[in-house]
Amino acid sequence: MSDPLQVTSRQAVSDRTTDRRILDRVILRHSHNVQGAGMEGETVLLDVSTSRYYTLNRMGSVIWEYCTGQHTVSDIHGFLCDRFEVAPEQALDDLVVLINQLVEEGLLVVEGG
Amino acid sequence: MTPVKKPPEAYLFSVYGVPIRYLAELPLLATPVNELLRHFRRDSIDESDALTMCFRAVQRRTDIPLTLSSSAHRVFSGTGSAVEGRRGTGLPCEVIQDGSCLIADFHHVGVLVMDGMKGRAEGYLIQPETLPANLIEYVFHLALIELLRHRGLYTIHASALEKHGRGILIPAYSGCGKTTSFIALLRSGYRYLSDDHPLIRDVGTHVEVLPFPIKIHVTDATIAFFPELLHAPHHILQSGSPKRSFHAEDLYPTSVGDCCRPTVMLFPHVIDAPHSQIELLPKSVALQSLLPKALLVYDPEVARREFQVLAKLVQQVASYRLSFGRNILDLPKLITPLLEQKAC
Repeated sequence: MSDPLQVTSRQAVSDRTTDRRILDRVILRHSHNVQGAGMEGETVLLDVSTSRYYTLNRMGSVIWEYCTGQHTVSDIHGFLCDRFEVAPEQALDDLVVLINQLVEEGLLVVEGG
Repeated sequence: MTPVKKPPEAYLFSVYGVPIRYLAELPLLATPVNELLRHFRRDSIDESDALTMCFRAVQRRTDIPLTLSSSAHRVFSGTGSAVEGRRGTGLPCEVIQDGSCLIADFHHVGVLVMDGMKGRAEGYLIQPETLPANLIEYVFHLALIELLRHRGLYTIHASALEKHGRGILIPAYSGCGKTTSFIALLRSGYRYLSDDHPLIRDVGTHVEVLPFPIKIHVTDATIAFFPELLHAPHHILQSGSPKRSFHAEDLYPTSVGDCCRPTVMLFPHVIDAPHSQIELLPKSVALQSLLPKALLVYDPEVARREFQVLAKLVQQVASYRLSFGRNILDLPKLITPLLEQKAC
């Protein structure tokens, strides 16, 4: 996401979590209020409940693509490491920060965990 | 004895297959609308499928028959000033959602009640004889836009022109060079679709832009660039505040263009430089730039469809940032190759 946001206690996963058991349990899906449009590898999201819109970069778009209610955070971490040349620890950090931001904004909903 | 009220006069229009029946209690409520929709007048329409819009005159605010249910909630409140890139209207407004109805409350001017699902709009204007004609037109146009959205016709705040069957859109607010760009292209032979509010529609294979010809409003600064405007007779370039206005066909040999597929979108801004420049924009940036000029979310399901149409539009066009320098009359030489390039 283009704007850094303050993470609050409403988090899908604690920023300092490396506990695989938590990452293996948390499943995320898109909020019903969100409409997305893919644009050259990036994604523009519109929240129809707030009229706010957001842009996700390429990595954010891949994360968004997999948040369908079918994959755990661990699964998504694995997909990122396969698709991008990035250190696993960095990919995990970026993933956790983004999903917490998206949950905070009401764009993603947590299932399980 | 209560005087018998004359029934409202009915005026018929058809906007790209959407029939409209407009009922006006007074001629002064009819004239601005007939001017706005002069290209869409019809002698008959399919009344079974028609949008019905009715404007009435009232003396006092308390004469407006409006009651809200307990589930009514405010979805928008504005002072009418320009905010965050959206243009100012000068008209304070609150928008309330009550079931399927949207109520736009313009306070001392009147109230608009719109039901998109039923295709109906009722306008109550307080002492309209004291209101400027362009305000009545503005309120009617708001209602029309909202009803047309429910029929798959969307408007964007942009200039639109056509050349050889290819469309160009220039989304921008006042002060960014939109109308100046528009006139520079118009006078070089582009055909006119709209100076402010073209309509767009998804026809399956692509999004098309549809003409919505209205008067062109120009500032004195814009007039100064174009000799034919500077020397135009008063009956053609009419006085107004804060802008003067004219019909394109009165000054230029161009005619109103046809529905077409837009292939280029320009986002202008004015720079203090001798020459204009263009820069290709990433599509995500183009969509973000377009959204404030197009999408107002009142009904979530309508907003979803409109967002998809806008995204499809951005996918099909090449979008550019136009840094508008002082060589205004040379603008067609910069822009026309873009239209021809995209078509190849």
